[in-house]
Amino acid sequence: MAELKVRVIEIIRGTTHDGPGVRTTLFLKGCPLRCAWCQNPEGLNSEPEVWWESRRCIRCLACLDACPTNALTDGHAGLLRDRRTCTRCGACVAACPSRAMSFNSRDWPIEALVKEALKDRDYYQTFGGGVTVSGGEPLNQVNGVVELFRRLHEAGVHTALDTCGLAPASAFAAVLPHTDHVLFDIKLLDSGLHQTHTGQPNGTILGSLSLVADHIRNVASGMKLWIRTPLIPGVTATRENIHAIGLFIRNDLSDVVERWEFCTFNSACRSKYEKMGRLWSYADKPPMRQGEVEAVREAALSAGIDAGIVVVSGLTMT
Amino acid sequence: MLNDTGTEEIVSGDVITHRVGMNVASKFPQSPRIRRLAQRSRELAISGKRRLGSAEMPLGDHACWIHIGPFPELDQLPSRANRYEATGESWGRDYAFLVDHFPIDLHEDERIVGEIHWEMHMVRQYVWPEEVLAVGRRAHALGASGVSSGHTCPDLAIGLSQGWGGILERIKQSREKYLRLDNRPKASYLHGLQMICESVIRFIQRHAEKALELAQAATDPWQKRTYERVADCCAHIALNAPRTYYEGVQWIHFAVLLDRVVGHGNGYGRLDLYLIDLYRKSKAAGELPDEEAREYLSEMFLKLRGHFFCLGGRDAELKDATNEMSFVVLEAYDLIGDYNNLGVMWHPDINREFYDYACDVLARHGESIPVLVNYDLMREAQMRSGIPEEDAWKVAYSGCQWFCIPGKEFCDQDVNSIDLLEPMKRTIAAGIAQGTDDFESFYAIFEQELTTTARALCAWKNAQYERLGDLWPEMFTSMNSHGPIEHGIDMVGPRGVDYQYTSVNILGIPNVADSFHAIRRLVFEEHRYTLADVKAATETNWQGREPMRQRFLNQDKFGNDLDDVDALLTRITETLSDVLGSMVNLRGQPFRASLFHFQGHLNPAAIGATPDGRLADQYLAHGINPQVGRNNTGLLATANSIAKIDQRKFQGGTMQVELQPKFFDGKDDIWTYVRGFSETFFRKGGIQINLNIMDLNTLRDAMDHPEKPEYQNIIVRVTGYASRFICLSREYQQEFVGRVNYEGF
Repeated sequence: MAELKVRVIEIIRGTTHDGPGVRTTLFLKGCPLRCAWCQNPEGLNSEPEVWWESRRCIRCLACLDACPTNALTDGHAGLLRDRRTCTRCGACVAACPSRAMSFNSRDWPIEALVKEALKDRDYYQTFGGGVTVSGGEPLNQVNGVVELFRRLHEAGVHTALDTCGLAPASAFAAVLPHTDHVLFDIKLLDSGLHQTHTGQPNGTILGSLSLVADHIRNVASGMKLWIRTPLIPGVTATRENIHAIGLFIRNDLSDVVERWEFCTFNSACRSKYEKMGRLWSYADKPPMRQGEVEAVREAALSAGIDAGIVVVSGLTMT
Repeated sequence: MLNDTGTEEIVSGDVITHRVGMNVASKFPQSPRIRRLAQRSRELAISGKRRLGSAEMPLGDHACWIHIGPFPELDQLPSRANRYEATGESWGRDYAFLVDHFPIDLHEDERIVGEIHWEMHMVRQYVWPEEVLAVGRRAHALGASGVSSGHTCPDLAIGLSQGWGGILERIKQSREKYLRLDNRPKASYLHGLQMICESVIRFIQRHAEKALELAQAATDPWQKRTYERVADCCAHIALNAPRTYYEGVQWIHFAVLLDRVVGHGNGYGRLDLYLIDLYRKSKAAGELPDEEAREYLSEMFLKLRGHFFCLGGRDAELKDATNEMSFVVLEAYDLIGDYNNLGVMWHPDINREFYDYACDVLARHGESIPVLVNYDLMREAQMRSGIPEEDAWKVAYSGCQWFCIPGKEFCDQDVNSIDLLEPMKRTIAAGIAQGTDDFESFYAIFEQELTTTARALCAWKNAQYERLGDLWPEMFTSMNSHGPIEHGIDMVGPRGVDYQYTSVNILGIPNVADSFHAIRRLVFEEHRYTLADVKAATETNWQGREPMRQRFLNQDKFGNDLDDVDALLTRITETLSDVLGSMVNLRGQPFRASLFHFQGHLNPAAIGATPDGRLADQYLAHGINPQVGRNNTGLLATANSIAKIDQRKFQGGTMQVELQPKFFDGKDDIWTYVRGFSETFFRKGGIQINLNIMDLNTLRDAMDHPEKPEYQNIIVRVTGYASRFICLSREYQQEFVGRVNYEGF
């Protein structure tokens, strides 16, 4: 049997927003949704991709010489890669002296990933933190996540799953016994709108949420559940949507939801789209104004949500 | 109108604001009196009257002396008017002459008085003979340097218990003894000490006389009473040990002030231990309201500036030494929010309430005050050097990154240095000449080259030590030290005090580690380049070799919690410890490496490009902190990298952190982050944290617009010391704003 590996796009240490305390967040590659506002576009495709960072590039063109399929050209706007002829062989990555050309993910053997995730263990203990897997959709690599969480639990480390919810019930059944905390995204309650903006309806997602809720009710009363809603102006951050999600949480989940977090949109990730050579319709969208965020909070409270569970994170403008 | 304590008309909830750092709210309201004194202090700083360094290269506004022009009686200075002699007696005569000619400055509102305007360095010659300088030039050519000057710590508990009169009596007795025994050199040195001590007594008495005069002329009853109290206090402590807390603070103020006349970076010891008995006595007598206790110290801090005091730590039984005074000292800083160099000595058993408050003060003000240091590691480092347990517990954080046993140690801290890039350059050249083709052989050459540099430093220091006690004794500090008076030997002289290890700052350790790691990979493992390529590339600042530079630059770097390169850095530190530890100075005591350099990293042009991919004009790494821009896996990763070093083997090695204020947005109890981070770092082996909470991007604006009101009071910990940002030279400012500005952990 091949060694179990986990495909990771990024590891961010010392995070304070992805669950309780100070944590290490592992971003895993591959996602079933295609949200137009996606903040981690390198996490969408589950295959490794090469990307190019103009800031690092010294235009030595060693990559062009190295490419066996001539998939690269030196264009006016920078290096262009033909996705049809590129075989992702990595010759350009190896040839690049400045790490401008790189794979946007790395396959971590589980052993090494556990070791990496444990590097800040002393800080997890101090701050009541642990390890969060995010993405992408981590449950796309459910076997890796389960094994990772199992080993972290053996080491006494708190585990959190940050999920979009679109995964088979079997994946949740496998991972929940090793999970201490779930961060669950509810983007749009209307399934039609959900389909329009993320490419998928939300039936399975809401089903997964009930699985998590039932798991807390029946099996793991100590598990914490935080709902997260990205605030996308004109899409999710509407009075109707927030009110609807609010009613849903109040009526169906108030016994299990500890926090409802609004994550305000920002376009700081636009450089990632540039590195991938992709256009992004949200690239120039300004951060939300405090007034808009306030209106969202009021919509939530008007649904009967306890103000104590509402948290706003991210950048806003006055 | 002010009442007797001067604390009427308090504006409650006084908030000091500046956009760059934290929105500071002092826990205590400032009285109008303290506000006026703070304003005067700020004006002195901003007008350049507190400047340290030259007008062209200001190092900050932390000078103790206040500029009022050159010393008018310079020509009459005994060593100039009569004859210069390299003796303690001649040195002491000059000192006494200088202090006797100080004007007496008493200002309205002041309850703590005394200031100085000149230092000994400005008036008395300090020149090494040519045969000594020749040894220094040889050392310098090999990358070693350092001229002895202060940087030690007296034990002020001596004078606090004996008074200047008591010290004078001991000097006289000792002098008589050595006269009787016909030991003229010792008697001559003690005559110098006697002249110094008598001038100190006269200086304090003159304050009493001036205060009385001013009291008679004063019309405002509060001011009149204040002058009378100053007069009474000074008249008593000129000769006697202080009786009250107030007199104790004033005594310490004069002791530090007159120590600074020598003009150097001394630390002054454990302030909470010095003052606790007097504090309790005055409290018990019902004569010391809390706000008064704070304000005396605030006043002293505003006046003394470049002092280092420390708090916390353990006592002789190794129990927590924190006491009520520990809190009062921090409160005195909290009240003024202006800089000083307080250090809190953490250990696992420290009073929780006190450490929490220290973290709260640090988080709220965000200006690296207090510095947090690891007491147990400092104590162990002292014991490892050979200091017995009965003294090791007394260790005090005393300067930038260093610590010492007050009154018992002269270790030449912070003035000596090895530029590690020099032996590295020679290693590369020798590697080429010898055809070295593996990393272990290469590293063996480095060990030899480092030894060569260390030997040259050793020779240079010993050439100085042979004459230091005559040429530039630390006589004022010696009066509050254990041994010099009885032995008739200055603390810098042979065994004048018990502990005389020689401390050596090391410049560029992370640069050498990163360079060696890149050479190991690209030269010895991948054979992509030769050592000759590396030499040619660095000597020409990588001209025409950008792809090669990028390859060296993009190897793993220290500070990212990567075991390979971190282990190499740790190995280099161990080599430093071994090589320097094997050298013995004239006092028979070893050299000790300090993983710090207070300003060498700011002078990159002298060093040139390095094989870590650094260009010639880029600043070097600051102390043991990663080269700027190379640690990109976050604060905790960098902290872990630094914590891998065995700090017991060194004289300090600070982790410097610039954290963005926005990290704390939306967070409650922000001090818990400072506490959690620092305690975990310390438990993992870290020894010191300097934490500035600043938005460096915003601070850039202060470089071009120093006149804006919001920048007047921005305090930063530059390297080892704290200063007002706008009073720093452009080089220092540039280096500061270029640092990694962590957005979070």
